[in-house]
Amino acid sequence: MDKNFAARRRRDLIIAAVLTALAASAPLFVKNVYIQNILVLTLMYAALSQSWNILSGYCGQISLGHALYFGIGAYTTELLFTKFGVLPWFGMLAGGGIAAVIAMGLGYPFFRLRGHYFVIATIVIAEIGLLLFQNWEWAGAALGITIDVRGDSWLKFQFMRSKLPYFYFALALCCLAWFVTWWLEDSKWGFWWRAVKDNPEAAESLGVVVFNSKMGAAAVSAFLVAIGGAFYAQFLAYIDPESVMGFQFSLLMALPAVLGGIGTLWGPVLGAAILIPMTELTRSYIGGSGRGVDLIVYGTLIVAISLALPQGLVSLFARSKAKGATR
Amino acid sequence: MTALLETRGVWQRFGGLVANSDVSISVGRGEIVGLIGPNGAGKSTLFNLIAGVLPPTQGSIWFDGQDVTNLPAAERCQRGVGRTFQVVKSFETMTVVDNVIVGALVRNTVMRVARRKAYEVLEFTGLAARADVLASDLVPAEKRRLEVARALATEPKLLLLDEVLTGLTPTEAQTGVALVRKVRDAGITVLMVEHVMEIVMPLVDRAIVLDLGKVLVEGKPADVVRDPKVIKAYLGDRHAVGA
Repeated sequence: MDKNFAARRRRDLIIAAVLTALAASAPLFVKNVYIQNILVLTLMYAALSQSWNILSGYCGQISLGHALYFGIGAYTTELLFTKFGVLPWFGMLAGGGIAAVIAMGLGYPFFRLRGHYFVIATIVIAEIGLLLFQNWEWAGAALGITIDVRGDSWLKFQFMRSKLPYFYFALALCCLAWFVTWWLEDSKWGFWWRAVKDNPEAAESLGVVVFNSKMGAAAVSAFLVAIGGAFYAQFLAYIDPESVMGFQFSLLMALPAVLGGIGTLWGPVLGAAILIPMTELTRSYIGGSGRGVDLIVYGTLIVAISLALPQGLVSLFARSKAKGATR
Repeated sequence: MTALLETRGVWQRFGGLVANSDVSISVGRGEIVGLIGPNGAGKSTLFNLIAGVLPPTQGSIWFDGQDVTNLPAAERCQRGVGRTFQVVKSFETMTVVDNVIVGALVRNTVMRVARRKAYEVLEFTGLAARADVLASDLVPAEKRRLEVARALATEPKLLLLDEVLTGLTPTEAQTGVALVRKVRDAGITVLMVEHVMEIVMPLVDRAIVLDLGKVLVEGKPADVVRDPKVIKAYLGDRHAVGA
């Protein structure tokens, strides 16, 4: 009876393993630093979008304020490192923990809001966070924090010459976010979240405590996004409020999932794999001369995909699969 | 033995509107009880009070010997109250079996066990063939059945059915009736709100008639349908005189 189901989950794991192996061997062929840079960003946004998808895709609580958690991850790591000499690895986990606690603290009032009001609240809160950091002298205010990079060190997670360590960390983070999602998909929480998204009242009648489910999703989602923020800070070696907490991050976490297929396992990865290289390439090839042309191309693609495939790009695969299954 | 469910002097007011006034009913273990009455009688409100969607303005609700008046819906489900919705509320983006798994997870936290339980319930309710179909692709009669299946998966002591037989073809309704009997035979008490008298009357052990928010009559179905007060409530004064 549930053989199909088990087979499908096994197949997802195998595909993920193959893709990971392919990605891991990419640096053997790609020597261009600029392209490597794009690959790092693509993997990072895939991980972030996958994390965002847990709260907004599976649980249906659309957040456009995840830049807040991204920034908290970045700032916690760098403040701990520059002020107290705490290694980024611990800072990263601390940032994740703080982001998760803040996500639940914010969820407490905001998960009582529905639909658009919730989305608006998330945007506003992230903007407030941005303003606070812009004015917080101890944290460098608008000038930000420059990280003192002295040679290559895995211990301090900083590298001067090669991008490869960052690449492999981003790949690992992407795998982690994917695997967490894969695991949650067939868990009590995963089922509860989807039920809450589809119909909170019915979920409640089946013993699902809707409020707690949302809190759980928010915590997991924020934790993973903050790890991504910590990584990004190390990658740039310099942070200021706008470059780690700006609204564009909230959008760039949401868009890959939405384009690829919101609330699906593969949507965020697929979306990021198409969107991020395209953003970077259009920016470098046509962005410089005709200001804004890159954004026009970008926007057109989003409109085209949302019109043609409102369920996201993964629906292309799902459709052919569904046909095969019913025959 | 005490009743499984009891409402004691329950009132529900919505602003100036009194939807339930001083309603005291009880449902014994193993019974099938029908809650009937004309439109606007307060059936759905009472039903929601029992399911825990909202607390009553006044009065108390007792389930399985305990006061559950202030417990939210999720906790009542954990205590053993299962319900369906009059306007079906399937999880549309999930498959039929996934819908039922959500219910099964209340008692079984291990996924494998919950999934097996869900398939059992689908078998019991005759939906097994549709297990892998998206809930949004079901026909209305199947959606009703899914509502019942989902509630049964929570292993309730009391099953609240909100108009599950209304709006079905006669054949579909008969299968529905058979299912309700089967549920009772499995040891589950049933309280059902229903409109279609000729289907529900042969099915229930006892009928409670609500009118204008109050309990009008309660008793054996055969007696209830002949009661002048009931006929008057449904059809008006002229017919009641004849009876």
